[in-house]
Amino acid sequence: MPTHSAPAVSGRGVSRRTFIAVAGISVAGALAACSGAPTGTRHLRLSSWNIPLDLESYQLIADEFVAAHPGTSVAVEVTTGQFHQWFITRLAADLAPDIIRITPQQIGRYAANGSLVDLTGAVPPEYEDDYSEPFWAIGARENGLFGVFQHTDNFITYYHRGVLEEIGAEAPSSLAEAWHWDEFLGIAGEAKKLTGAYGFGYGWGGPETAYRWLPIVYQNGGAFLGDDGETPSMDSPEAVEALDFGRRWYAEGLVSPANMSKSGGGAVARDLFLTGQIGLLLDNPESIAALDEGMPDEWGTAPMIRNTGEASDLGGNALAVTKSSKHPELAAELVAYITSRAKVVEFCKRGNWLPARSSLDASDIGYDRHSETMQRFIDQGSTIPLSMVRAESGQYFSSLNSVFADYLDLCFLGELSPAECGTQMTEAMRSVTTR
Amino acid sequence: MSRLDEPRKDGLGRGTRRRARWAPYVFVGPAGLLFLAFSLLPIVIAVALSFQDTATLGDGEWVGTANYRTMLGDPLLRTALLNTLVFTIGTVPTAMAIGLALAVALNRPLPGRGLLRALFFVPMIAAGVVVGVIMSWIFNPDYGVANNALAALGLGGLPWLTSPSTAMITLIGVVVWTRIGFCMVIYLGALQSIPAELREAAAIDGASGWQRFRRLTVPMLAPTTSILLILNVVFSLQAFDVIYVMTGGGPGFSTTVLIQYVFRSAFADARMGYAAALGLLLVVILLVFTLLRQRATKRAEELL
Repeated sequence: MPTHSAPAVSGRGVSRRTFIAVAGISVAGALAACSGAPTGTRHLRLSSWNIPLDLESYQLIADEFVAAHPGTSVAVEVTTGQFHQWFITRLAADLAPDIIRITPQQIGRYAANGSLVDLTGAVPPEYEDDYSEPFWAIGARENGLFGVFQHTDNFITYYHRGVLEEIGAEAPSSLAEAWHWDEFLGIAGEAKKLTGAYGFGYGWGGPETAYRWLPIVYQNGGAFLGDDGETPSMDSPEAVEALDFGRRWYAEGLVSPANMSKSGGGAVARDLFLTGQIGLLLDNPESIAALDEGMPDEWGTAPMIRNTGEASDLGGNALAVTKSSKHPELAAELVAYITSRAKVVEFCKRGNWLPARSSLDASDIGYDRHSETMQRFIDQGSTIPLSMVRAESGQYFSSLNSVFADYLDLCFLGELSPAECGTQMTEAMRSVTTR
Repeated sequence: MSRLDEPRKDGLGRGTRRRARWAPYVFVGPAGLLFLAFSLLPIVIAVALSFQDTATLGDGEWVGTANYRTMLGDPLLRTALLNTLVFTIGTVPTAMAIGLALAVALNRPLPGRGLLRALFFVPMIAAGVVVGVIMSWIFNPDYGVANNALAALGLGGLPWLTSPSTAMITLIGVVVWTRIGFCMVIYLGALQSIPAELREAAAIDGASGWQRFRRLTVPMLAPTTSILLILNVVFSLQAFDVIYVMTGGGPGFSTTVLIQYVFRSAFADARMGYAAALGLLLVVILLVFTLLRQRATKRAEELL
């Protein structure tokens, strides 16, 4: 017989106090286990958009990294909801992931306010040699390197083969032959007659993607911000002329009013193309899968339209290390690993992305399908101007993009003339940049 | 025997009395802590934030009443307030009136009454984002069901969401549709609590159906109407998801409401302090409305 029994156990079983104590200890233990308290393993979290193929790719690459770095682990997570809301709240709680997949339009604010870690020194210097100046500028600032551009995308012209044949137009095959604005509107007008609805569509994806129209401004020699990257310049004659060009899209009924920067984003343009209500579509590579499924062999591609200058949309993502990271050196090493030439090839092939590195072309990636179209996108990437990249990846761009969406809508709807729109938009932008 | 050892008149021992004294706090405690952590504390932080200039949460610079002064001269805020007013006036009385009409209709014997009640309530259950996406398709001017239906009737299509003059009306229609089920269920419950004898007595006294409804049912429903009014106004002031998905506040600024402007200021414009000040303006509007409504209800009750 034991000399003394455990005080918690009485003749009636477990007492309430004991139960509460045990429950408390269990909860505390469980919480401690969930808190990510040090266990000897250096753990990293990488957050990406919810694209299943990409999540798999990141995990596969991360697993290789972990195998080469004993005592580490990497978990791939999903960036949920509205990006800024998600990221700001996590930064405030010091719970942001170590590595974040972030667009060029989002990175500027966080690089400027100290939320991202300087990767200089962690990223091999020769990386810069394999990037065009605009693509390197996405992460590079005067005070450091705050992200490495991993993959890109941009806009080219999709056309309905049957429509173009009936018009008797020939699609340009090289950047030098790209349709100029008037030429394009002429063909779009003919396409409208054939479809009986509209001529073409533009691939906005909701109010947050209003910036996708900026290439039109740069195609005309205009600029969103001046050379200093901070002075609004949407009231320049070139920018106003670009706005007038956009206004004509709607005034002449060439583009559906449901396909506008702010209202009616999503895949409206793509749906119109798939349902034969437009004959031309200015969009990014995301349309390829839907067109393959909905109208296989009925579509072709040509370079993005141009005017006095060339430009296309700046799409894609960079990888950056956040200030919440407990192991920033290791996280930076992983960023360098994922953006290495070999891993970019792997990632782009699996997810059908365009490489950000200049030395890679479609044959290096070995796309399973549409290698020629993907090469067209890669070539088009060279037309993205440095000044547009600096504007879009600047610290104020998220706010400026909202202003751009507002005034683009007002101009296209005819509520403001292009000149009024240019002046008022510039004024509104100034109130942001001088805050 | 000492006084302490004496049994109390209520027959309860000292331990039991002590437990009885603490019991309410123990019951209220967890809820109180949660309220403190997730409601009261954030409100206090929001008030502090409204006096700061900060792009992120924390690390703000104190700027006194600058954010409130900015509000006074902000033209977009004026537009958002006006749109909020139009949206609230458009949605609240309409949803309540239709909800009441449906409740009255479904409060009498009717074949399939249960099914109809459930059907009218279904939109309330659907997530706002889902409703927004589906409605965007329905009201798409090019391939939406709405314009196809009009075309089948030989009528021209409407720019449901693509014109500043119609977008707000379309949004109001969609939000009313999602909310009538809620109003109907609440009114239905209130209608069933009105004693049948009262209606029978009124009928015996010769009151017509309309008179019974006007003079008996409506006054008896006043407390319910009051609660529904406050709830619906709160819902309308907080309506975000459907508008965000369907119009993004456009075309232009035609459907930008206050809560959207708060969200935009906080996360797109990175003006946390200003967004907090706007959020507090929303709270003040709600408080003033609720107080006015309560005062009106009290006065009406005194007159009865």
